[in-house]
Amino acid sequence: MAVLNFIINNILTQAAIIIALIACLGLILQKKPVGTVVSGTLKTMLGFMVLSAGSAVIVSSLIYFGDIFKAAFGLDGIVASIEGINGQAMNELGLGSEIAITLAGIFIVNVIIARFTKFKYIFLTGQALLWEATLCVVFAYYCGLRGVPLILAGSVVGGFFATMMPAFAQPIVKQITGSEDIALGHLCTIGYMFTALVAKLTGKNSKSTEEIKLPKKLEFMQDTYLSVMVVMIPLYMIAAGFAGPEVCAEYCGNTNFMVHAFLQAMQFVVGVYVLMSGVRMLLAEIVPAFQGISMKLVPNSVPALDCPVLFPYAPNAVIFGFIFTTIGSIIGMFLTPLFGLPMVLPGVLSNFFAGGTAGIFANKVGGRRGAIIGCIAHGIFITFLPAMLSPMLADIGFIATTCTDVDTVVTAFVFMLFKSIVAIF
Amino acid sequence: MFRNKKKKPEKELTEPIINMEEILAEIEKLKSNLKNARGQERINTLNALGSLYFKIEEIDEAIFYYETSLNENNALGKAYTDLMKLYNIKRRQAAESKDEEATRIYMHKIDGLMKLSKDVIRGRG
Repeated sequence: MAVLNFIINNILTQAAIIIALIACLGLILQKKPVGTVVSGTLKTMLGFMVLSAGSAVIVSSLIYFGDIFKAAFGLDGIVASIEGINGQAMNELGLGSEIAITLAGIFIVNVIIARFTKFKYIFLTGQALLWEATLCVVFAYYCGLRGVPLILAGSVVGGFFATMMPAFAQPIVKQITGSEDIALGHLCTIGYMFTALVAKLTGKNSKSTEEIKLPKKLEFMQDTYLSVMVVMIPLYMIAAGFAGPEVCAEYCGNTNFMVHAFLQAMQFVVGVYVLMSGVRMLLAEIVPAFQGISMKLVPNSVPALDCPVLFPYAPNAVIFGFIFTTIGSIIGMFLTPLFGLPMVLPGVLSNFFAGGTAGIFANKVGGRRGAIIGCIAHGIFITFLPAMLSPMLADIGFIATTCTDVDTVVTAFVFMLFKSIVAIF
Repeated sequence: MFRNKKKKPEKELTEPIINMEEILAEIEKLKSNLKNARGQERINTLNALGSLYFKIEEIDEAIFYYETSLNENNALGKAYTDLMKLYNIKRRQAAESKDEEATRIYMHKIDGLMKLSKDVIRGRG
């Protein structure tokens, strides 16, 4: 009994071990050799620990940024970073075990829905599901759920989103790809459909973006972390410049306050780099296990794949989408404080991936005029929704961060809606 | 909202009439051209071969020519979009015949195509 109690209280409460056990189970179900099971399990545990280390770096940088931004502009400035949300939820808020089990639960619910209903979509973008699991757990927790009910609620809601979001996007995805074989598994779908609606209304008879000669690549996006750096360094330095040396002195010691701001911005990028390396290691064993199991259980499934699957259908629209979503998110950044919301600083990566994909949706239904207007609206939309969520995130304990992927934001609102309905009774 | 109100006949439902002999003759002609083709002409020939094999549902041959085309020239064109469809067909066939190894291989190939898409758009292709 003492041994059992020891295991329950000291081992099974450790998120790293729970996650590793889930990977281990996946590898065993795939009948992998013992060596692969052991190495895969250990690598998954290592992935979680790397993720935690990255999160700690991000948090220390964000505490500094949140404080100097407030001192500089008298406003709450928050960084749109779903990675930061995931890291803080798993570590600082201690929800790592619940998130890991809910991730597995979402896989299971997705397979069950795909197996027994006409919605055959199997969501295969591991990172997006990890973000969804994170928001499901955080908001189920915020609604007062704990333990098994929390995991069940998170799994059902997350599994529903994982199946129904590809279904929601499919009418347009079918027009883009010309077939029903592939679906889109990227949890920014509500933003894409909003963009398509605006483009449809505004882009009648407009020619396609693909009829223009544009460079087919975005060279400054070649390195993900370089592009994050290009945005974060000016943001930190502007905030420090406006805050002034007296406010920054508390943080920078003997270092010049502008040099310190520069280094803090670099710290943020380092944190994202480390955290994402951890996420990749963490998912490297779990996602293939899920792919194998789900394909076996639902052989006629439609794989819902990450957004780059659509890029080759309209490369110019990706560039349009990125540029005009970025313009929209900058407009949104200045608009949100007028509504009493914090200022959300644009996330360059989400603007590229979500913006690019929104551009393809908009172009398909509204041509180049639809893509321009639709993507500016998209940029504003994906700034406002996270800004509306941020007071709740701050209340839960998140530091100067909000979500990027709008479906995860809507997931959080769904939980809040449930909470409000339950409160009535 | 995004569907046309008037029910148009679905494209997939109208089976194109395939003249097998003509297509096979065209394939032979393209294969002989391929021996001397260089640069963009070679890529276009490889893609045409992939497309013709796809039309007559010779999936493995179609994959071979499209993969060769992409290996020689990373571009986001028809080779890419057709290969995604072809891999998915192979993935589905493997899943239906419960061939786990082949399912894994084709899922891996699909992942590779998505990485290629990201890289080409960002100029790393």
